[in-house]
Amino acid sequence: MDAALEALFGFFFKYRPFVFEKGTLALGASLPLVVVLVGLAVVAVPLLSYLRVPGQLRRRDRAILATLRLGALAVLLIILLRPMLVVATVVPQQNFLAVLVDDSRSMQIADLDGRQRGEVARELLGEEDRGIMDELAARFKLRFFRFDATTERVTGITDLGFGGPRTDLSQALEQVRQELEPVPLAGVVVVTDGADNSAGGLTESLLRLKASEVPVYTVGLGRARFQRDVSLGRVETPRSVLEGSTVVVEVHVTQSGFGGRRVPLQVESEGRIVSSEEVVLPDNGETATVPIQFPASEPGPRLFRFHIPPQPGELVAENNTREALIVVEDARQKILYFEGEPRFELKFIRRAVAEDENLRVVVFLREAENVFRRLDVDDAEELATGFPTTREELFTYRGLILGSVEASFFTQDQLRMIAEFVSERGGGLLMLGGRRSFAEGGYAGTAVADALPVVLERPTMEGTDRLVTELKVEPTPVGLLHPATQIAATLDASTARWAELPSLTSVNPIREVKPGASTLLRGVLTDGGDPLVVLAYQRYGRGRTLALPVQDSWLWQMHAEVALDDLTHERFWQQLLRWLVSSVPDRVSVSASQDRVAIGSSVTLSAEVADSAYLRVNGADVVATVQTPSGTAREVGLEWTVETDGTYQAQLAMEERGLHSVRVLARQGGTLLGENSGFVHVADPVDEYFDAELRRELLERIASETGGRFYTAATVGTLPDDVQYTESGTTVREENDLWDMPIIFLFLVCLVAAEWGYRRVRGLA
Amino acid sequence: MRKARRLGDLRHGGLAVVVMLVVVDGPHLAPAGLGVSSSQATPTTRLESRLPPRAGHEFYFTRAMYSGYTRGRRGSWSTDFPKADRQFLIGLTHLTNIDAYEGENPVRLDDPTLRQYPFLYALEVGYMSLTDAEVRGLREYLLAGGFLVIDDFWGTYEWQNFETQIRRVLPEYPIVEIPLDHPLLSTFYNLDAIRQVPNVWLGRAGGRTWERDGYRPALRGIFDDRGRLLVVINWNTDLGDAWEWAEDPWYPIEFSNFAYQLGVNMIVYGMTH
Repeated sequence: MDAALEALFGFFFKYRPFVFEKGTLALGASLPLVVVLVGLAVVAVPLLSYLRVPGQLRRRDRAILATLRLGALAVLLIILLRPMLVVATVVPQQNFLAVLVDDSRSMQIADLDGRQRGEVARELLGEEDRGIMDELAARFKLRFFRFDATTERVTGITDLGFGGPRTDLSQALEQVRQELEPVPLAGVVVVTDGADNSAGGLTESLLRLKASEVPVYTVGLGRARFQRDVSLGRVETPRSVLEGSTVVVEVHVTQSGFGGRRVPLQVESEGRIVSSEEVVLPDNGETATVPIQFPASEPGPRLFRFHIPPQPGELVAENNTREALIVVEDARQKILYFEGEPRFELKFIRRAVAEDENLRVVVFLREAENVFRRLDVDDAEELATGFPTTREELFTYRGLILGSVEASFFTQDQLRMIAEFVSERGGGLLMLGGRRSFAEGGYAGTAVADALPVVLERPTMEGTDRLVTELKVEPTPVGLLHPATQIAATLDASTARWAELPSLTSVNPIREVKPGASTLLRGVLTDGGDPLVVLAYQRYGRGRTLALPVQDSWLWQMHAEVALDDLTHERFWQQLLRWLVSSVPDRVSVSASQDRVAIGSSVTLSAEVADSAYLRVNGADVVATVQTPSGTAREVGLEWTVETDGTYQAQLAMEERGLHSVRVLARQGGTLLGENSGFVHVADPVDEYFDAELRRELLERIASETGGRFYTAATVGTLPDDVQYTESGTTVREENDLWDMPIIFLFLVCLVAAEWGYRRVRGLA
Repeated sequence: MRKARRLGDLRHGGLAVVVMLVVVDGPHLAPAGLGVSSSQATPTTRLESRLPPRAGHEFYFTRAMYSGYTRGRRGSWSTDFPKADRQFLIGLTHLTNIDAYEGENPVRLDDPTLRQYPFLYALEVGYMSLTDAEVRGLREYLLAGGFLVIDDFWGTYEWQNFETQIRRVLPEYPIVEIPLDHPLLSTFYNLDAIRQVPNVWLGRAGGRTWERDGYRPALRGIFDDRGRLLVVINWNTDLGDAWEWAEDPWYPIEFSNFAYQLGVNMIVYGMTH
């Protein structure tokens, strides 16, 4: 209800609606029964007098006049009964009132007719002879608190700087409740924009406040929707990629006031624009999802900025930029490729990745029955005894490609070990199509089949007969935007290139992927029918598995329709294998709860520690050396979390801006188990500028669930009055007469006047 | 690598069995007509590419059909065709795991489908005379990733003709000797020397093995600027006859053995490198 309507209500009903909500109705007449009887008699006399004069009045006139007379008499009867509104009100100066003021950065946003939210808050609460302070102070003992990510008691709010990095309403309410629990607390007033960006927990805080019967009065400052604004949603990027990889991310763009405008979305790294995509801004309130592709070409920890240039008239420019830290690795990742027969696929895969400095494909080739060849091994020992039989040997690789090699080649232990290579070591497994792979290779029902993303059906080959299917490969909607299937410099070019590539063949018709798996490429049959799966993946334990049931991707290199200088085949295999091994953990892996943290806040550093067989180690000494941007180094010990095997954690307080490197060493009994690095970027907080519009629904919910009320800057004038009607704290019950409400007299006059008027019109008076 | 050596021995035993299998299978295979003619013809008028349906096999023993002086009905490209091809494929499938199509697969050099067969065999190139379209087709085939094996041409004159023709195809890359320690010679069989393999008539006769002035066999190659072997040139030797006549009791088995060994090596190398 807006202020004018509420004032009108107050005029006619003597009290504002909120008072009615808080109170209960009662009758004040000492002998109500007698009054009722007298009243009934008074009503009966005129009614009978009308009824007994037939002939002079028409039936309708009689009914109307009787109703009007009865109405007037009923109003009189109500007045005689002396209705009252009974409300609990605080005893002046006997109660405490907590006043919480949001001290976070979003309060600096000047969206209140050009004035900052904080400025308005200060005016409302901080300055004498203005606002509502004097009225509140007259009734309550006031306790002021400022809050952002933390909450603290202050003497007044005039000195607040509105620079807090985060807003956490739930902890603020909870802390105030606890701090003032021993005293009679009449209520809590929260002045905020409600732009809460904490992890949550508000429901629990509200439940506790409700149990304590402490009403929360929320004063919302700011606009519920900026008139002109462009904002980027959180950008999910991989933690690390191999140098030279193409990264694809989806950026969510919302706006108001610029619908339909074309703006550039840029990706910057080290001050250079590495990618740009034109975005058509969506309608107000809608979200546009913009996929954008960019190269990760410079090794090291790299900060990528996703940015839409500020548009004219934008109130908040800070929410036009998101940052993401990606570690671009220069490592050479070793992949074992076991091929069961000499195949051109082998030749062309080797050729495609030969010049990729970050991939190394070690080949174990069965040239004939019991005749094996090793290609590109490190030394004479590598694979000398055949396909690995121990976890230690297999798990040195980060990826495993199984070509046309039948399941019966492996022992049950080896099949299980291959599955564990993915689930426990976190490696990447890729199975290629061929006459001896998938169902045709007898994998159905094996541990490897469990790991694969596709459902293996009955083999289609009997003996030498085989069903060869020609397929026109096309990306699925997921595949169009997936990093593994980017085969050109831009998303559009990649999409166009897929349409041009020559058809391939498959002898492993696969139609179904497992729940949770994603199909990236599908094959449209040249002679019709349901499309087949060409590339699918799923997460399996710590790692990921890929299925590529085609056997001649080399046609994308050799086919006459493919230009000699075309690099699609090379790009496809490099992207695919890079993605296969991009998230494979080392024996010691390091991660931070946030890659980008606000200065002054803390971050949880986690390390997972395993031995050479990738079995989790619990009793290790794990130490992190944190190197700050200014060059100082400090050591921090990580403790085993107990809940999870092999996981160690420590809290790091980040007090310096810039990129911090964290080197973690894990030892057991003096032996080095492994080491690894992570990075944390510490910067000025920006969370406050995202979703920074007034969160009216949230504030209304807080108020309604606790029995308080929501106000805006325009309606806050009634807050001092409202706050006094509370059950909380030291209160007295106040009986307020309602018989003298102007609305009653007005109604009575109207009824009498209507009766008289009717008589005049009908010629009865 | 004791195990590998033992496996290598097995392979030698296996080869003897294969040669015997070829002997058994041999009579089914009709020898190619070998006439001599001095007229020049392009394969267009003689024989179209006979492509098998791409029935999902991995390997097709693809023979290059090129222009040049004809021998009988067909061009010199068809020497030993198709018996040598079929007979060699019998050996190849018995000796290795390769999923090979059992029939011959002649393809014209200017046929775009050539690019779908990354292994190519050409012989009797001493009188080869490529058209511009064939030069372009072969060049693109090799630069795209194709692998060409040249066989059965002898002496200085034929070399000069071949060199002239291949210069038209790959002018930028030199022809070099393939050293004995090159992986080509150890990919499947360990070959420690290049033997001269005589044609069937000289082999049966048991005397000299050379023809014209081609006294010494040579294994040469053309590598691209990344070191990838594009063309293998077997000069002053006739592997094709040794494959074709492996079942002939008068043709010395030592030559057939070597020809099969080198042939298998070239194919496995071509499929893996």
